[in-house]
Amino acid sequence: MARLNAIPGVPVLIACLAILLIWDLLSRVVMVSGLPPPWGALQEVPVILTDKESLVNILASLRRMSIGFSLAVAFAVPVGLLMGRSRLVAAFFNPLFMIIYPVPKAALMPIIMLWLGVGEMSKILVIFLGVSLPVIYHSYQGSKAVEEKMLWSAAAMGLGPMARLLRVVFPAALPEIMVGCRTGVVLALITMVTSEMIARQTGIGNIFFNALDMAQYDTVYAMIIVIGILGFLCDWGFEAVRRMLLGWAAPVHDIAVGSA
Amino acid sequence: MATDMIKIAGVSKVYDTTQRGRHVALGDISIDIAEGQFVSILGPSGCGKSTLLYILGGFVEATTGQVLVNGQKVTGPGPDRGPVFQEFALFPWKTVLGNVMYGPLQQGLSKEAATARARELLVLVHLQNYEGFYPKELSGGMKQRVALARTLAYGPKILLMDEPFGALDAYTRTRLQNELLDIWGRDRKTVMFVTHSVEEAVFLSDRVFVMTKSPGHIRKVFDIDLPRPRVRAELLLDRRYQDYVIAIERLMDEQIEEIA
Repeated sequence: MARLNAIPGVPVLIACLAILLIWDLLSRVVMVSGLPPPWGALQEVPVILTDKESLVNILASLRRMSIGFSLAVAFAVPVGLLMGRSRLVAAFFNPLFMIIYPVPKAALMPIIMLWLGVGEMSKILVIFLGVSLPVIYHSYQGSKAVEEKMLWSAAAMGLGPMARLLRVVFPAALPEIMVGCRTGVVLALITMVTSEMIARQTGIGNIFFNALDMAQYDTVYAMIIVIGILGFLCDWGFEAVRRMLLGWAAPVHDIAVGSA
Repeated sequence: MATDMIKIAGVSKVYDTTQRGRHVALGDISIDIAEGQFVSILGPSGCGKSTLLYILGGFVEATTGQVLVNGQKVTGPGPDRGPVFQEFALFPWKTVLGNVMYGPLQQGLSKEAATARARELLVLVHLQNYEGFYPKELSGGMKQRVALARTLAYGPKILLMDEPFGALDAYTRTRLQNELLDIWGRDRKTVMFVTHSVEEAVFLSDRVFVMTKSPGHIRKVFDIDLPRPRVRAELLLDRRYQDYVIAIERLMDEQIEEIA
């Protein structure tokens, strides 16, 4: 058994099988239409993934997610880094973010729709908000923790304040920034689905909640599986990028996913 | 009489803290250091000896007084004064070679020239076989050799050494002291070396400034009249070396009794 654990992928496979087994047992015991046995849902997954319209929806979602995520990172990293190096900037942004942090970003969706309509912009903005905060927080922490003497060493070599921020603070804080981004990827997925639940036009959330409305439970559960797989793939891909970029760093602690 | 390269005139440092009120870290210091001298600042911890070094480096601003280097007032860090810190302060995202090349590249050398310069220095500190390593893969002694090479690489006229061997084990410490004297003997840069080890100060220096406890003043100056090149085994048996060490230790003990 210990040997089996060592093979990559095997523990994941065992965990998946366990979930399916529990699901199957539950569906037999509970016997409600809202909890169909897993096999119907599993059969539905390839159907969804080969259906052209579903694929268009999923791609639309992924597109939103990547745009929202990229904009958030482009905004959050500089803000977080500046906050960590300037007390004035931190004093300005800190209370602001403390108020926004616990607000579920998807709950802002109806208000945002009033400003920007039900289209792409609203959804991208919600994803942007969801991703920004953890990335700002971790960039801030990483920037604050940069060793003063490292900056002094760079200053002695002739690097000015701007060059120090870009070429010393940024790389030194990168391990911590990446922790924030990894949380951000998962939050992007969560806010993406919830925003599409509220403003339904296209996307993964759209398929999901339409199926729910029409009591197509096999499709509903199949979509949960699809979203789960997407989340897993995003995280896995992200982790691969992180390892590639941060070979020089000591391993970072595990991360917890914050509120959406 | 050679002109003094460094003139420290009436320098003090006062911190205004909200918790502890006014804290005098460094009281009125005036020191002149001639070009090519190896000078140590010796004192109990908390006496402000490192603060004095940081002021000379331009990393910390003096509350009163001024520092002149070659007649120029120090207003900030510059490549004429190269620091080496106890904490090493290497760039962890750069390899050994990348760290040592950093200064030369900053000075506008081509990549080839900077690499050649860095390799020269790595030979000097006996790390020519480690150029592809990252700092996290090195021992403390090796990290400090890299830090020294990185600073020497941009050719500072003055070396500012802040308890550079304080974090190393006794064996590595004596080895690095020997290597430092070896390197210093080649071009006799002006060195300001902060330490709390009496033997280290006497072994390395031309002059030793002994500081009082906080707020630090210069208590006494010792001109160390020992021949160079210095060999540890010979010095340990040399009556003059022993006398210096004993005299300085007595002076520092007196201070501790005054406090007790």
